[in-house]
Amino acid sequence: MTATAPDPAALSASHDIITIGMHADDVRRRLHGVCTTFVRVADVDAQPGAPIHVPPSAGEVRIAGAPDSRASAVSRVAEVRAATSGRPLSGFALSDLERLSVREQVTLRSLLEELCAAGLELVAEAPFDQLEDPRRAIEEVNIAGLALARLTIHQAPAVDTVAGFQRVYALQRDVAVLRSFAPLPRRFNPAVPSTGYEDVRRLALARLVVENIPSIQVDWALYGPKLAQVALTMGADDIDGVSAEDDVAQGRRRAPLEEIQRNIRAAALEPVERNGRYELITR
Amino acid sequence: MSIDHGIDHIVEKVRAGGRVDRDEALALYRRAPTAQLGQLADAIRARKHPEPVITYIIDRNVNYTNVCVARCAFCAFYRPVGSTEGYVLGFDELYRKIDETIAVGGVQLLLQGGHNPDLPLSWYEDLFHGIKSRYPAFKLHALSPPEVIHLSRLDQLPVPKVLRRLIAAGLDSVPGGGAEILVDRVRKLLHCYGKASADEWLDVMRHAHHLGLRTTGTMMYGTVETDEERIEHLLRLRALQDETGGFTAFITWSYQPDHTELAGSEATGVDYLRTLALARIVLDNFDNLQASWVTQGGKVGQLSLAYGANDMGSVMIEENVVRAAGASYCMDEVEIVRNIEDAGFQAKRRNMHYELLGDPIFREREVPRMLELATARADGDTSVPDELRHYPARSRQGKALRVVQ
Repeated sequence: MTATAPDPAALSASHDIITIGMHADDVRRRLHGVCTTFVRVADVDAQPGAPIHVPPSAGEVRIAGAPDSRASAVSRVAEVRAATSGRPLSGFALSDLERLSVREQVTLRSLLEELCAAGLELVAEAPFDQLEDPRRAIEEVNIAGLALARLTIHQAPAVDTVAGFQRVYALQRDVAVLRSFAPLPRRFNPAVPSTGYEDVRRLALARLVVENIPSIQVDWALYGPKLAQVALTMGADDIDGVSAEDDVAQGRRRAPLEEIQRNIRAAALEPVERNGRYELITR
Repeated sequence: MSIDHGIDHIVEKVRAGGRVDRDEALALYRRAPTAQLGQLADAIRARKHPEPVITYIIDRNVNYTNVCVARCAFCAFYRPVGSTEGYVLGFDELYRKIDETIAVGGVQLLLQGGHNPDLPLSWYEDLFHGIKSRYPAFKLHALSPPEVIHLSRLDQLPVPKVLRRLIAAGLDSVPGGGAEILVDRVRKLLHCYGKASADEWLDVMRHAHHLGLRTTGTMMYGTVETDEERIEHLLRLRALQDETGGFTAFITWSYQPDHTELAGSEATGVDYLRTLALARIVLDNFDNLQASWVTQGGKVGQLSLAYGANDMGSVMIEENVVRAAGASYCMDEVEIVRNIEDAGFQAKRRNMHYELLGDPIFREREVPRMLELATARADGDTSVPDELRHYPARSRQGKALRVVQ
């Protein structure tokens, strides 16, 4: 079945969610075939001195939360780096670092360079809609010797999804370093959650419009296995936020690794584990 | 999306309105891309329901007892006879639930429960009479086939006679619970063959249809059945529907494994959408297919509307069974309507016969929001209904309780 010449603006107004998904799936398969990557993440708190637990299966250690100060951010990175045994270390939202640099009256680049020197490899996320100047901020990440794990959306705009994604496309055209885009908002109103149609349409349109970013990502923990799995059939090719804990309390088949692989295969796709550097892992 | 040309002729047959056989259904299920299955199912849905309307019902899913002797391996809800966690709801508790249901626009009680050996047929008759005398227009969608069989065994009466007595007391329709997979190999593995074999389940429905009752058909998949057995289940329902035309709707949901003896893992969201779409294709003589948002969540529940479902099921108000097994999704009328309209359809209230009752009730009058489904009883409530002492108990524990009462 081949989809032809999709017009994203027209698709964004359509309720034919399967056709929208098919167009996106065509693009996804052209870029990735059936390969579906996922990363197992060990989250650690941004607060210095907080417990650090890095399961052996973690493909990325991620410092989560906003740092209180420049000193605490640097100190925390050094602490966590010492515990990662060479695993990719990511941390913080670029928008939080942008605000911190203003508060501490240092340049964003010097803050990023300090974090890099302390052992940070990747900025965990760049919330596109929260950055003062996305292009400049992302270039600073690059110049400071860091990588960006993914571009995210903090909160869904009320209107015009396609126009927003066209701006993301333009951003990548300028910076050319974005490896992954997670188009589903990280924050939502629990009283009025997004619907399945909204989520799937958003993912599919992201895949169709932002063709120049290799991966469209969905967060396993935030959006749940059912929606995330359906997303894989409608444009997404990468899954973030899989637990690194080898929890077999409910049986081996319910362990995170088994569950993610089972879900990917049940969508007629092939699971491939990666780490935070997007290097494929063979165990 | 790659095309499997080996199924082209089946796809064309379905598009032309043809009926698939066992092998064709299996080929579609195993080989058709999910999007293609969805498009076929959606086209059938649109053909059967040309108006862009998705229906739902406001009713309450009440489990009158959790005491059960069936001991199905997939069930996390039941408690054995004598358990301190066992309960039976009193008539007054049930009337109160009906009052609450009517207050939010509800029209029906979906009443199902465990196979409690201490509740004879007369208990049900008195309850139904009591409900109908107090709420004459309120509907009783009650007692799945295994419960009817349980009563038939307990009171040593043939199934048609049990059904006649229940109808005389006020039964309006029969829910399709307890079907699981209508293949005895599966039923034996799930320890549910004893409560009803596949033939027995179908026979109860056949009798009900012949007595003028409408019923629903269901399927719980994702335990131990093969793909072929899932299709066998659908074909058995289709055959009975050809014979009687008594099913109003089909509902499928995935096995919920938490806290069950069987354990294991839940079937995936894509599997649900594929199974739903296949059911729409195979069950060409069923008008209505419900979305199981209770087990799949609101998001996949809404996506079901693109994969063959034309009904969002029940607002429910209360749910106990799948909650015990780990699923705890809740959508009140406002949320169900928002999901229906967001998918491009009009939302209409219906009754069990799928007759339209009107627009959303919350647009006609103020209705309290319901952000959590109620449970049968508040935690820690171990009260025993006073009226139970009027009914003979079968179990030793039940007899002892009657003496204390």
